[in-house]
Amino acid sequence: MHGLFRWSSKWWPGAIPLVILWAIAAWTSTAPLETDLAGRSASALKGTVLDKTRIEVSGRDVTFAADAFSEDGRRGAVAAVEAVPGVRLVNDETRLVPEAKPFVWSAERDVARVTLGGSAPLPASKGKLLEAARAALGGVEVVDQMQLSRGAPPRFDTAASLLLDQIVRLKEGKITISDTKVSLSGMARDLGGREAIAAALKNLPEGFSVAANDIKAPPYVFQAYKDPVAVTLTLTGYVPDNNVHAAITAAAGRKFFSEKVVDNLKASIGAPSGFVSAVVPALGALSRLSTGTLVVTDREIKLSGDAFYDAAVTQIRASLAKDFPEGWQVKADISVKPAAAPVDPTVCQQLFSELLARGRIRFEPGRATIDQDSAGLLDRLIETAMRCPAANVEIAGHTDADGDGAVNQALSEKRAQAVMDYLVRAGLAANRFTATGYGSTQPVATNDTDEGKAQNRRIDFLVR
Amino acid sequence: MAYLVTFHWGWLLASVLLGLAMGWIAVVHRGQGVSKRTARWLAVLAAALVASALAHVIPGRPGYWLDLGLVMFAMYLVGCAVGSWLRAWVLSRHAPAA
Repeated sequence: MHGLFRWSSKWWPGAIPLVILWAIAAWTSTAPLETDLAGRSASALKGTVLDKTRIEVSGRDVTFAADAFSEDGRRGAVAAVEAVPGVRLVNDETRLVPEAKPFVWSAERDVARVTLGGSAPLPASKGKLLEAARAALGGVEVVDQMQLSRGAPPRFDTAASLLLDQIVRLKEGKITISDTKVSLSGMARDLGGREAIAAALKNLPEGFSVAANDIKAPPYVFQAYKDPVAVTLTLTGYVPDNNVHAAITAAAGRKFFSEKVVDNLKASIGAPSGFVSAVVPALGALSRLSTGTLVVTDREIKLSGDAFYDAAVTQIRASLAKDFPEGWQVKADISVKPAAAPVDPTVCQQLFSELLARGRIRFEPGRATIDQDSAGLLDRLIETAMRCPAANVEIAGHTDADGDGAVNQALSEKRAQAVMDYLVRAGLAANRFTATGYGSTQPVATNDTDEGKAQNRRIDFLVR
Repeated sequence: MAYLVTFHWGWLLASVLLGLAMGWIAVVHRGQGVSKRTARWLAVLAAALVASALAHVIPGRPGYWLDLGLVMFAMYLVGCAVGSWLRAWVLSRHAPAA
């Protein structure tokens, strides 16, 4: 032992290379050591729920900053870092995320994007909500402005994801959860969307309640466009159900004798009351226009376009003033189509024949009252008659062979006269026309079939 | 400590070897040794450094360098002791034969 003391007094020269060795070791090992410790600390925190985690290592000392969601979680995380082998000291800069009071979360939709705002309780639920929003909204941009906060009510995630599903049904609007109160405002995307949202809100988790539901239904729109070039009538928008759908397309088929009806109507609930009794006469008014658009928005009817002649404008306006159910508003913007170029009487005859081949003037059964549905055809006939002011026209009434000959004769005369009166009321000179009845003496088809009889019941225009 | 040993075993081995060599030489070295008074001061200094390392007084990188230096120094001393003792033992075996 004594020897060891004696020898140790001569160990000092080795300290010089030792110091050099130490300096090299310190120089080369510091950075790898710090990287290694940072990695170990990070992996020790893998199972913990933290936000804004920051780990800085200086030598063997770890500065650990993070936002924790509970006091236990915070302490556990610090302990986990302290337990990492090699860590000498932990500078604890952790804190609890702020508590939100009230705890507010919101999802707002405008034309281009959906913004998620307010507070989310945990990073996982925030991520889940974002993912759910992106999945539900397809291509719509989702903007995340959510903060993490403590103080969420129980079952918040379930409530929020249920409400996110409703944002899909909105065109624009905002859904807010404030503690356990849910408020909704905005406009539903489709008809029926408001009702669907109200139904979904019944499934809110226990404890949540609806404070305000101000979702508005979109306007109930029905549109018809008469295109004289394509010779089509395009129907778009909504009808209440399939029966009404059938009734409207049937009415359109009767009133628009030459146009092809393009039917793009969809059935949807939410129609204003009196929908059919408003739309059918409005279609009748549209059928009298050369080109025109009919827009029915909730209880407002807008009709615009060109009538064939001046008197038609007055007539259409008069019918619009009386034909509609109570509570409906009608706005008509009708002008007169420029007069067509005059033509020879022979051309006039040709035009009459073409028009009457495509549609027939209809009367109420067994009577001489002109059916409203024939107004469009009559307007076209009147317009044609105006193009050949020099031509005299015989209006010839015919019936089928059913019933008594004398009655048919009288009926055909009255019907021809009724058409002539209609023409005169439209402003044509009475002395240009003669009304003649031929009864069933000049059939154009067999009287043995219903179809043949229908063809025989007719009014012909003959230029004399 | 265990972590420092596993992470720096190369440097520590080098310190031990350096110590072994120095200890081996010290037994037959004829040069001037450290005086008792200086040795006492050096011991106090070493104790102070060890105390400050244990108390984690020096923060960050310097603290780590201190720890590393002390561990290397300890290994060096162990090496020296073993080296000197080995040399003394070898000499004592050869002396009777001579």
